[in-house]
This record gives sequence, C-alpha cells and structure tokens, in this order.
Amino acid sequence: MANFLWRRLLWAIPTLIVVSFISFIIIQLPPGDYVTAYAAELRNSGEYITAAQEDAIRTQLGLNDPILVQYVRWIGNILLHGDFGQSFHWNAPVSELIWGRLALTLLLSSLSLVFTWIIAIPIGVYSAQRQYSILDYVFTVFGFLGKGIPDFLLALILMWIGFAWLNIDVGGLISPRFEGAPLSLAKIGNILEHVWIPIVVLATGGAAGLIRVMRANMLDELGKPYVETAYAQGLSERQVVWGYPVRVALNPFISTVGWALPALFSGDVITAVVLNLPTTGPLMLQALKMQDMYLAGAFILILSVFTVIGTLLSDILLAWSDPRIRYA
Amino acid sequence: MQKFLRSGTLTLALLASVAIPQAANAFQESPMLKAMVEAGELPPVDERLPANPTVVDAVEVGEYGGVWHRAYRGPGDRWGPTKLLEERVLKYVPDADGNITLVPAYIESYAVNEDSTEFTFTLLEGLKWSDGAPVTTEDVEFWYKDVFLNKALTPTIDPTFSPGGEPMKLEVKDDRTFTVSFAQPYVYFLNILAKDSTGEPSLDRPSFLFPSHYLSQYNDHYASAEELSKAAEEFGVQRWSDLWGSKGPVTSWWQNPDLPVITAWKIETPAPGNVVTMVRNPYYWAVDQEGNQLPYIDRIEHRLFEAADSFNLMIVQGQIDMQMRYVNSSDFTFYKENEEKGGYHVGTWKSANVWSFVPNLNVQDEQLNKLFSNKDFRHALSVGIDRETINELGFAGLGEARSVSPISGSPYFNPEWETHWTEYDPDLANELLDKIGLSERDDDDFRLLPNGKRLQIVVEAYQDFAAPILEIAADYYRDIGIELLPRIIDRTQWDDNRDNNNFQIQYTPVDRLSVVSADPRNIMGNDSYAQQYYAWYETDGEAGIEPPQDAVIRQIWADWEKASVAGSMEEADAALNSMIGAFVDEGYVIGLVGEVSIPVIVKNDFMNVRNGLVEDDITRGVGLGQTQQFWIDQNKQ
Repeated sequence: MANFLWRRLLWAIPTLIVVSFISFIIIQLPPGDYVTAYAAELRNSGEYITAAQEDAIRTQLGLNDPILVQYVRWIGNILLHGDFGQSFHWNAPVSELIWGRLALTLLLSSLSLVFTWIIAIPIGVYSAQRQYSILDYVFTVFGFLGKGIPDFLLALILMWIGFAWLNIDVGGLISPRFEGAPLSLAKIGNILEHVWIPIVVLATGGAAGLIRVMRANMLDELGKPYVETAYAQGLSERQVVWGYPVRVALNPFISTVGWALPALFSGDVITAVVLNLPTTGPLMLQALKMQDMYLAGAFILILSVFTVIGTLLSDILLAWSDPRIRYA
Repeated sequence: MQKFLRSGTLTLALLASVAIPQAANAFQESPMLKAMVEAGELPPVDERLPANPTVVDAVEVGEYGGVWHRAYRGPGDRWGPTKLLEERVLKYVPDADGNITLVPAYIESYAVNEDSTEFTFTLLEGLKWSDGAPVTTEDVEFWYKDVFLNKALTPTIDPTFSPGGEPMKLEVKDDRTFTVSFAQPYVYFLNILAKDSTGEPSLDRPSFLFPSHYLSQYNDHYASAEELSKAAEEFGVQRWSDLWGSKGPVTSWWQNPDLPVITAWKIETPAPGNVVTMVRNPYYWAVDQEGNQLPYIDRIEHRLFEAADSFNLMIVQGQIDMQMRYVNSSDFTFYKENEEKGGYHVGTWKSANVWSFVPNLNVQDEQLNKLFSNKDFRHALSVGIDRETINELGFAGLGEARSVSPISGSPYFNPEWETHWTEYDPDLANELLDKIGLSERDDDDFRLLPNGKRLQIVVEAYQDFAAPILEIAADYYRDIGIELLPRIIDRTQWDDNRDNNNFQIQYTPVDRLSVVSADPRNIMGNDSYAQQYYAWYETDGEAGIEPPQDAVIRQIWADWEKASVAGSMEEADAALNSMIGAFVDEGYVIGLVGEVSIPVIVKNDFMNVRNGLVEDDITRGVGLGQTQQFWIDQNKQ
C-alpha cells in the first residue's frame, strides 16, 4: 500500500508540470492576446490606441517575450513566492480575486454534491430492486429529462418561474437591499430564497446520471450467486441489499469522487453566468475570453492540481474499500 | 474684479435671505453633508462652493438623498460609471428643444481670439478638489509640464492636441486664468475638448487639470526613483508610469478613493467587488436654479452582472433605477410588458449609430478588392437590401432606413444624404452588376467572378442578435445573385480581423454621427472601411497601403485638413460638409438602419430624466442627460 502511494505521488509531479505548461500554451492559442482584447474594449468605448501604444503595453506586460520565458517567469513566481501574478483585466492580484469568490463556490458546490448523492443513491437502488415498476418508469423519465435539459436552460426556466409566478427575487445570491447589510435572520432567509435555484439545477443534472449508473450496477449485482446465498441464510431484504450489492455498486462513485474536487472549485460555469452568481466560474470564463493569462492560468493550474489530488484520493479510497484492488 | 465678485455674492446672499429668512446660508446642501458639517467634519456649504457656482438648470427642482442602483459588467466597463460624471471645461447640454449646445462648466468664462489660435479660460473663483484643496493654475501647469509634455507618461502627443505637428502651448496669466495656443487656426478645438477633453492619462479626464498636490508624489519630476518604485510596488504594478492612464491604479478615478476629483461623485468602494459604490463629492461646484448644491443623489451603486439575461431580470424585478447602457432594443417588448411589475417605465433616446455593412476597401482577396473599390458595385450592394424589413424584424421597427451620414439634430444633418442609395431597387442592383461584367451565373443562379468562382462575401458580426439580420440580408443578396455568408464570431477575433486586414465585410454600428467635427476619423477610414489607407495617411506612408491617385478618400482627407486649419467656423464647416458629402456620395459604408430609439429604464420614483435625447459618444452618452440633476422622489417609493 505504501509503495503504491509513493508511486502515485511521484507520478503527480511530472503530470502537473506538463499540464501547467500545456494549459499556459492553450490560453495563448487564440488569435491576438490580452492587449488585442483590451484595445477592442477601448475602441468600443470611444478611446483610441495606436499600434505603437499597443506594443508598448505588450512590452510592459512581458507579452513580447518568448512563450517559454513567460512560462518560467510565471511558474517561478508561483513556486518561489506563492505569487500568482496580477490579473491584467481587474488590475488586482490573482490570489485576491480567487479567494474572494472561493468560499461561496465551495459552499454551493458541496451542497449540491451532497444533494446529488442523497437523491441519486436511494432512487438508483430502489429502481433496480423494483425494475419496471411504475415508480421505476417515473424516475427513469425524470432522470432522462434531467440529463437531457442543459443546466443553463433549466436555470433560466426556474428563474422565470420564480420571477413570474412565485414573485421572489431571482438572480444572484442576495437581493440588493441586503447587500452589505449586517447578518440577520432576514438576510439568511433572503439568501435561502436565492440559493435553491442553483442547488436544484446543479443537483438534478448530476443526479440524473448517477441514478442510471447506480441502477445498472445494482442490476448487475442483484442476480449474482452471493446475493441468493445471503437470502438463503435468512437475512432480510434490507440487510442483503445495503450490506453487499450497494457497496459493490458504489465503486464507480468512489472512483469518480476525485473529479468532484475540481468541479467543487469551479462550479458549473455556464449556470453561474446565467444565474449571475458571485462564484469563481464566471471569473474564469471572462479571464479566458479576455486572455487574461495569469488569472486564467491560475485557474487552470489550480483545477489541474485538484484533479491530480482528487484522482489520488479516489485511488486510495478504492483501495481501502475494495480488497480486489488492494491486492491486485 | 475681486470687489465686483464679492458684491455679487453679497447680493445673492441678500436675495436668498429675503427669500428664505431661516436660511443662514446662500446655498442649501444634502442632509447627509449637513450632518457632517454639524459634526465638524466639513466646512459649511458656502465655503465649499465657488463664489459663483455654475448653475445647472434642473428639469424641476428636486430633493436630496437616495441611492441610484444600476449594473455594471466588470473592470472592462470603466466607461459605464465614468460617463455618469465626466467633467470638461465645456460640456454639451440639451436645450429645451433637444438641440445640443456647448456651455461652460467649471470655468467662469472663456475667450477665443480672432483666428482661433488662442483659447483663454478662467477657472471659477473658489473651485476646490474633492478633498477641499483649491484648484488653481498650478494644477494646470502640472498637467501641462509634468504630464502632457512628460515623455514617460505621454510618449506620443495625440494629433488632436498637436494640429500640424506642433503641440499646444500653455501660458498662465494668473492663478485662475490661462491661455492655450496653437501654431495654426483650430476652430473645432472646443468641440473636441467637450468630447475627448485633454485625453489620457486618466479616466475622467478633467480638461487641463490634474491635482498636483496629490499626483506629484507619483510623478518623476517630483518624486525620487526609490519613492516611485515603492509606490509601484504598493499598487502592484511593474513600473511607476503604470500608475497612470485610464487603467492606472492611481489616476483612474474609479480605482483610487484617494484621488482628488472635481466630479459630482467620487469612488467609495472600487472593484473588484460585486457592488461598486460612488458617493457625492461635498465640494462639487454646481447648484440648481434655486441654489441647491448638486448632485441631488447621495450614492450610486453598480451591481456586477455577466449575462444579458440576468441584467434583464434585474430590470423587470425593479432593481435598476435608471440605465441605458446594456439595455437592448431587441428586448423592448419584454421591458414594456413588465413595466407595472417592476415599477419603472421605458423611455427612449435616439441612438446616433447607424447599423451598417462596412466593406473592406483593402481586402486581400484580389477579385473582391476590385469590386469593393468599384462605386457601382457598392451602389448595387446598397440598393439590393430592403431596409424596412431589416428595421421591422431586427429592430422591432424602432429605427429608420438610412445611410451613414449625420443624424437629425446634428448641425451637419442633410436630408438628401440621409436617403442616399437607401431605396430598395433589386432591378437597378441587377442592372449595375451586369454592367460591371458580373453577368455570368452558375447553376444556382449565383453570379460568377471573372476567375470563374462564385461571388461569395463573408459578412462577420460579433453580436448574437445580428444573426437574423444577416440572414435577411443574405436572402435579398441571393435575389441579385450574390451569396452572403453570415458569420457570428467572437469580439476579440472580430477586432483582430479588422486590425490585421483580414475581413471582407463587417456588420457594425457606426457611431460619432452627431457633432462630426469632434471626431471625423470614422469617415476618414479609420477603424472602418479603409483601415490600411488610413494607417498610410496617419504614418505619412510608413505603414499601411497607399490609395490610388484618383481615390476619393484622398479628397476626404484633404477636406479635413482644410477644415482643421480654417480661420473661421464658416470656412471650416464648408470643408467639413464637402468631406461628408464626398463620403456619402461614394457610398464607402453601406448604412442600413439608424436613429434607433433605444430603451431607457427609469424607475417611477426616479425624476428629471429627459426623454428623446441623442445617445452618442461625442455627446458623452448618458452624460447629456445631466446626471447631477437626477433625483429620487422618496415619497413615491
């Protein structure tokens, strides 16, 4: 086990170097660079900027250096000083921007993850046990609908319902009148009024897929000899199902739990944009669109680190929960 | 002079005391400031205001207080908040009939000499920065010597301020009066000042002024190299000169709460936050017709939004008090439907944009290059589209079919130009195309180019809502045998294509069509139909592409040069009109729909927003509505 862990950890290092380098290059692939985007923005608002001025800004931001030099400078600052650099677009340190939005992002995505699991596992198990029952069909229809409707569309529909019929404030996480007000019961209530839409949206999309996976795995397991043996021993249905097949069927969950980490960090970008949530997702999208390199680079780097760590965690959890893997 | 002014104040004070016996002051102020005065944090209002404050005529005298809620789009949206409070020595204001006039702002008077080479300005007596420090010609000198002529901060002087290559000169007369002069006559200088002011490096750009008592610590003529590098580090920029500019953390008003300003509001909570707030400037130098210090509104709050849908939801939920920026004509019905629910009404202003097809005269494709340079071909493209349909389907009928030419209400408006080549006439279009040798057609009935290929033109736009408009245009062009290929692309890519001469036709709103004299660069080809020709012209042949000897664009440039050195307004306007006439007659840019009524969201308790004004960059967008006299009726909540 220890040996296995070591190998994994050592592999993580070159992986991260390669990922960070590739992501840095990918950000620069689209035509133009941050200065192009900036000049466009200026033009849009009636300012003029000459080619010479543009070039001066490029030199000043170090965008004229070879890509390798830029990469080394960027990664060096991160490793040596923990400095993620400045966002060109926001004129503010990258770390400050990300931290400012991280707490809320984590809160939202972990809430929706928990909801996803609470909904998906019991339904998946029930659907498998009572295959082709009325309820199984109902859940299947809902599952496919949930899977089929894009999250952002669902978000728009729910916002519309909230606005047109429920007469509640929608969009964002808090109504303007509570913005900056001290924490109070009314304020918490107001946040709850807003927060259900993103959670429902994020949970339904995720749950739909998980229900199908859970159902399929359970169906595979329920017909196996050991289940019959367990029944023959006189155990109740609940003891049998939750004691053995469910544990085996959870394998795919455990092996993908690692990927929930980066998802927790970025949240669902498009949904957040549509719902106008102050989370990290919209920030990342904008950084990529503006080619705000250091901000976008920091995001991608953090996501990669989380993915690598998450995969590592998944491996450890799997090894721990499934002896077949441990001794393989 | 001094004596006269003092007695002036005295009469005012007397009058006021007759009118309002209880008032100890000649002027009134916001309760918010009154409380600060009583707490000893501020001097009384009479000491804060100039001796003779500028009077801004409010639509009706309003009440103080309240917060103006609007939305902004992030750091790229610097101009949204800025256009609410820009100040210039002279500003465009609408008169009762909606015509645009130029009036003095924070100056007492100005004078122009006989041949428009010298412009003299006198600052208001007792004018102060937002921190209470007096504004004097020292600040003017600082702006001129330490910024305008400082190579580190202004590497190249904008041709606007160096007509004929000679930078403008400054002469200070006393602590309130100064004269700027040019080597040649410059009749449009005041119009240019009202739009561009004195340019970078700052964001709100007060003309000729920088707060020397504050900014000298960030200037290399005053501060040592160590002090400057320390300041750069403190603000997290690479070098000290990066502290300056419209994005500079020191000179950009909306990032730096410490920067002294002369605007009606100043920044309180800068970005990055989800809410950016601005608060009234206690030293603002203007009053309404009854002597109430402006602005009426205490605070302005901007909420961050990302997608247009979430902004529209804010509007219909009544979370936006007054806004025009990002309010979309194509969503007009949606806004109207929810007026009652959101407690607002939808006003309209008139946009000075004309949505147009801009063919690229410098297009790299040789076949198209020949065609785009051919006047008959452009004529065919223009009459081959039914603009009425585009207006109905693309703009909810809120615009009108027109060419790219000055809009109604502009001093250069001409009804004949407005309708030049705008009549839908497919027969004429076909006739013209046959005449120039494009009569060969393929099996799908599309015309063939001389090289045997199908005549295809890629039209690119970056707005999602342009897609249906391009589809309609494609249908009309099919009728005249031209295949239009619509492309909706990313904004950055779109700009990149324009910069690198990599487009055939771009669909775009052409603006700056109100007071053309303030910024004729569009008409001269810049950022438009002949970017490469203009680059050649601007760099004296060092860059870009030289136009042919007989190209009309040369006449356009010559006319502008004539206008810019003319000794009188009449002479200048004649040359300018000749320039616009040549541009319209050539049909370089194909205007489709313009003078669109753009929706303005106004909450029912938000007062003094005039309706039907012109929205143009030249007249500073919403600024023409004189935001400092907007007020919120607390009894109507």
